[in-house]
Amino acid sequence: MNPIVQPPKPRTNSNKRELLFTFQSIIVVALLAFTVIAFFLYKDLPIINGIKVIFAPFLSVVPLLFVLSILRDLRKGFKEGNYSKHEIIKFCLITVGITAAFTGVTYLLSEIKALEILLAAIMAILSTVFFLRSKIKDILGMSIITGIAEGIIVYMIFLF
Amino acid sequence: MQLKKLNTAFIITTGVSVVVFIYLVFLGYDEIKTLKDVIKIIASILFPIPMLFFVRFVLIEHFLPLNTDAYKLKHQKPATLLLLLTVVIGVVSMQLIEWLTGQKLENHLIFAHLINSTTLSSYVLNYILYNNLRVNGILSGVLLSLAIHVFFLTA
Repeated sequence: MNPIVQPPKPRTNSNKRELLFTFQSIIVVALLAFTVIAFFLYKDLPIINGIKVIFAPFLSVVPLLFVLSILRDLRKGFKEGNYSKHEIIKFCLITVGITAAFTGVTYLLSEIKALEILLAAIMAILSTVFFLRSKIKDILGMSIITGIAEGIIVYMIFLF
Repeated sequence: MQLKKLNTAFIITTGVSVVVFIYLVFLGYDEIKTLKDVIKIIASILFPIPMLFFVRFVLIEHFLPLNTDAYKLKHQKPATLLLLLTVVIGVVSMQLIEWLTGQKLENHLIFAHLINSTTLSSYVLNYILYNNLRVNGILSGVLLSLAIHVFFLTA
């Protein structure tokens, strides 16, 4: 008996995992947008060259689309059963590592002095997220995406 | 009937946490001077959500959807004991930390926000998915002790 959420129709665990993965990537996209807005408003970034702002996204989106169209899926998809203790420890460590790395990357982003470069950098990270989302549908993709999200948040709370 | 009680308890605990949050923002209102402070508050509220998703992703099999009467009867007493114990331990340790470091929690509201949002998110997750009554007791204890500390024990 589940009072808030009605017992869902029998779904497989890999479906549930895929749903969580999708939610997580939506959160990361929102956080990246939040980062751009925060840095833009807080630091009064100048727009040095208007035409560059328009073209900044293409730099990483075009290669992404090309890679997505020619590459097959790199992982087999989500697992149905349990993860072993060894795997859980391994992927938690990966997540912690990516979190630390992305705290540093967000610091580097905060050092950028012009809006168009910031936009290009954020679009590059976004492209990576979309790549993980569509080609590495696995716990590896999940731990990388979680690491990115936590890294941005940790920087925002403690270092910004 | 039992279901109604459980719902009420859930809503009350969530309400306590929301009130604590509003109070914290109110308490720190003087310090919200720049956009930076707003960003920090938003970030500290968002902090637990990706971690919860990750934990849920890994531990999808350990799932207790049935909250039967037998299960409740068996775990009622330990859960209540854990609740009381956690409230006491939480309040005492927060006082101890304040006394040891000589700093007030209200001067570091970000940490209060972090404790509040992390506990609340785990509480909601536990309530909706796992129905583990002992964990429920511990998390309610943390929320209550934070509320007691913030409302009554800070000068």
